[in-house]
Amino acid sequence: MRTFTRRRMLKTVAAAAAGPLGFPFLNLAHAQAAPIPIGVAVPLTGNAGPYGPDMAEAAKRTAAKINGAGGILGGRRLELFIEDSESSAAVAANLTQKFINVYKCQSCVGYWGTPEGMSSRPIVVQNKVVLMVSSAANAITEGDTQGYVWRFQMKATDWGIVIGRAAAGMKFKTVGILGLQNAFVLPIMKVFEERMKGVGVQVVDSLIYNPEQPSYRAEVERVFGKKPDAVFCFGLLPDFVSIMREVHRGGFDSKVIALSIMADAEGKFVQAVGPQVAEGIRHFQPMPDVAASGYKKFVQMMGAPPDRVFLFPPNTHDQVSITALAMERAKSPMAVDWSKQIITVGNGPGQEVDDVVEALKLVREGKPVNFQGAGSTCDFTPNGDQLGRGMGQWIIKGGKSVFVEYAKP
Amino acid sequence: MISFLVLLAIVVCFSAILALALNFQWGLGGMVNFGLAGFYTLGAYACALLILKGGANTFVATLGAMAIVAAVSALVALVTLRVAEEDYFAIVTLGVGEMLRLASLNEDWLTKGALGLAGIPRPLSDVVPAEMYSYFLLGLSVAILLGTLWVLKVLARSPFGRIVRAVREDDLVAATLGKNVLWARVRIFAIGGAFIGLAGALHAFYYQYIDPTQFTNIVIAYAFMAVIAGGRGAHRGTIWGAAVVMVLLEGSRFLKDVIPALNSDQLAAIRIIIIGVGLILLLIFRPQGFLREHRLQVDLGDAATIQR
Amino acid sequence: MLQTAFNGLITGVIMTLPALAVTLLFGVLKFPNFAIGAMMTVAAYMTFALNAQLGWPLLLATFVSAVAFGGICIVIDALTFRPLRERGAITLMVASLGLGFILENIARFIYGNAARSFAIEIARPFRILDIRMNREQMITLGVSFLAMVLMYLLLTRTPIGRAMRAVADNPQLALVRGIESPRIIRWTWFITGMLLAAGGVLIGMDRALEPLMGSNYVVAVFAAAILGGLGSPLGAFAGAMLIGIVGELSTLVIPPNYRIGIPLVVIAVILIFRPQGLFGQPHIRK
Repeated sequence: MRTFTRRRMLKTVAAAAAGPLGFPFLNLAHAQAAPIPIGVAVPLTGNAGPYGPDMAEAAKRTAAKINGAGGILGGRRLELFIEDSESSAAVAANLTQKFINVYKCQSCVGYWGTPEGMSSRPIVVQNKVVLMVSSAANAITEGDTQGYVWRFQMKATDWGIVIGRAAAGMKFKTVGILGLQNAFVLPIMKVFEERMKGVGVQVVDSLIYNPEQPSYRAEVERVFGKKPDAVFCFGLLPDFVSIMREVHRGGFDSKVIALSIMADAEGKFVQAVGPQVAEGIRHFQPMPDVAASGYKKFVQMMGAPPDRVFLFPPNTHDQVSITALAMERAKSPMAVDWSKQIITVGNGPGQEVDDVVEALKLVREGKPVNFQGAGSTCDFTPNGDQLGRGMGQWIIKGGKSVFVEYAKP
Repeated sequence: MISFLVLLAIVVCFSAILALALNFQWGLGGMVNFGLAGFYTLGAYACALLILKGGANTFVATLGAMAIVAAVSALVALVTLRVAEEDYFAIVTLGVGEMLRLASLNEDWLTKGALGLAGIPRPLSDVVPAEMYSYFLLGLSVAILLGTLWVLKVLARSPFGRIVRAVREDDLVAATLGKNVLWARVRIFAIGGAFIGLAGALHAFYYQYIDPTQFTNIVIAYAFMAVIAGGRGAHRGTIWGAAVVMVLLEGSRFLKDVIPALNSDQLAAIRIIIIGVGLILLLIFRPQGFLREHRLQVDLGDAATIQR
Repeated sequence: MLQTAFNGLITGVIMTLPALAVTLLFGVLKFPNFAIGAMMTVAAYMTFALNAQLGWPLLLATFVSAVAFGGICIVIDALTFRPLRERGAITLMVASLGLGFILENIARFIYGNAARSFAIEIARPFRILDIRMNREQMITLGVSFLAMVLMYLLLTRTPIGRAMRAVADNPQLALVRGIESPRIIRWTWFITGMLLAAGGVLIGMDRALEPLMGSNYVVAVFAAAILGGLGSPLGAFAGAMLIGIVGELSTLVIPPNYRIGIPLVVIAVILIFRPQGLFGQPHIRK
């Protein structure tokens, strides 16, 4: 973490110094063709703060791997500009402007949350630069993106489908739904509610609440007070902590099902409420197929123990990889050209490869490839939505999240 | 780097307009607006919605946003007519601002709630070439800022401006002098509101995407800081104040590189602590700001404007 | 219905202490202190440090941090408000806004944005007349009533309290009568600090500790204090109860996410029709 900050500072300073002189100054230093800049906006702080550092690390290691094997486009290195999006829409929009205008990036990757993606989308479309997000809200890829916006995540409505199917299997007769007023939560709620009604489960209440309320007593009272078999909560960590304390103290017995970013958040939830309150909560989150060899290689690259589950960093790896592959395929660093090759290298048809260096070699030889990423199989719809990513389900037992199953929509 | 500075300068422009509006309401008129963030939200949303749903062009939408914020401000001032005391008035504006922000989050049929409004078109974006657009927007913002400055200056020097200041210093005296204090208060607040709406519209054009998370109460701190730093009542000073605050804010981001042990949450915290400490120090040691209120010298003969 | 009303009662009781603090401070110093939210947050984190990090029992931790925070408030006043005392309510109000930002972010700087809890077991509820209640709510009720009674006794039975009321009624006259107002102001801040510290701990017990925990209550607390007529402890208590109960009951008819707006509507209605509050005496300006 710290080393990355310092290194980035050096880069920033170098870029600032080189700015007025133009990039040839840097070329002399490296005695190579100009590096290819990629903007990486990750949440190092804010509500998604726990996830950013590993995403940044994944991007760095992926770029290092590609650079170590000779870079792309005849020996050009990838140069990353990693910045903190602060989980905020305005900050992310400023960053995207900075990536495009100051660092001349043609690819902006990272973008954990929906606000970050939504605020950056018009900027990239206008500047004809590619944006690769890790956020879920359907709206990010809806409408005309002119092929510049790509989602490396399961779409929110698909979350609703997977959770709905799992819920149907749990044989509840009545359920309540409690959701945060939030762009990615609302589509999940809507689809989930439809699915529940579709399989004949009675939805006793479906309630939306605001962030940063003084208390959530009224909401908890209204939904849990109707004593449904289970309550599905979709929101973020801070509100869920308050809600669960209220539920426990209110003596409600409904089963609670949530998302991992609320009920796990790298262990922060159990830390905040204690194992007793957390006991028995089930939580869901899109995750990589941990059995796939692409994911196993990724964990190795990160130097983590083989059973470690990374939720978001594999997406960043895939974003950097797909950028490199599409550029190599288009033989151009300009997004106008290579954005059209994203589907070609991601969906195939071609040889299935899960190692980016190998894939780059094949592309250089002019052979068709079908890249299999670490976070998913990297298959896309023409409008930029990702297919082939699934969801994990966990249950909290004794203060620890125990893995239950993996399912695709 | 140049283009990044251009973008920063645009942000300074609309922060300065916001600060000028606050300066008019509070600095000149003595009406504390703690609901600034809410009125600013209203301006941005009104502008965006008039374009996206109302089909208005950017010019009409900007005027519309100004009119809507002015109308709501006037209403607030009218309803609180009986609440002449500044502290009560401040509490009411705090509440109104909160309600406006709540509405932007919860009325999703209109505002799309937390999803925000995307794809807000910019003025003349079909005429100006894309690569030149940020320079154009800067030029436009500077022009609007200067226009705002001019209008507010003229108003401050007009007879109306004298009533405004009289109301600030002591509304009882002003009332005794026969000026219609209530009506003056409504007008001060509405005119200030119009320019808050203008700043909101520029915000919407700049980001092209607005959502409720962009309009937190910290906006209030920045604007008050700008007004106090520039000298309460002084127009040009307010613009300098806004520029200094924005440069401090953006500049403090580089603290991260100097002190790598800090995470960004802590940096954000330090940034706001600096703003807060600066605000209090300025209040204590330089209450007149770095530039004095215009014409104060000339006005010394005018009984209503003599400082205690 | 009954349960909702009881929940409202609890919300109201939680707001009683800060509303008392607002009332007391406004009475003596004549300006609304918008920093109360952040003050409660900081005091709650101080208690958290003693309780969860040093392992002291919560009661002892609260008492120690309340006394300490009372002292801190005296220092804060000396540094921030005293130099501005002669500049009028608006300046003091803006200073309190800045102070609030400073305090809230000191808490954020040290403890980050993540939610934390005191080291107490979260207990399951018991039932009386089919209303669910729990231990913490009983503590909240007890503490608030105790604080109210103490405040009442302080203001009516002690020389300091009487002096405070004298200063509140007429500072000049109080001065003439030989009441030393700087000393009274220090006492006022000390008591305010203790009330806010206790209030902060109650909020932390009710929800969780995070940097916005206190600021979220500011509008509602001011509504309660204004409703009570700014200046009477009994009024502050009644105002807090009304805001709490009305707010919670309103969720039966309006969407709960507008509940936060209820205090605003209450403020507006009162200020328009009865500016002196429900329990305040009408007074003549200037």
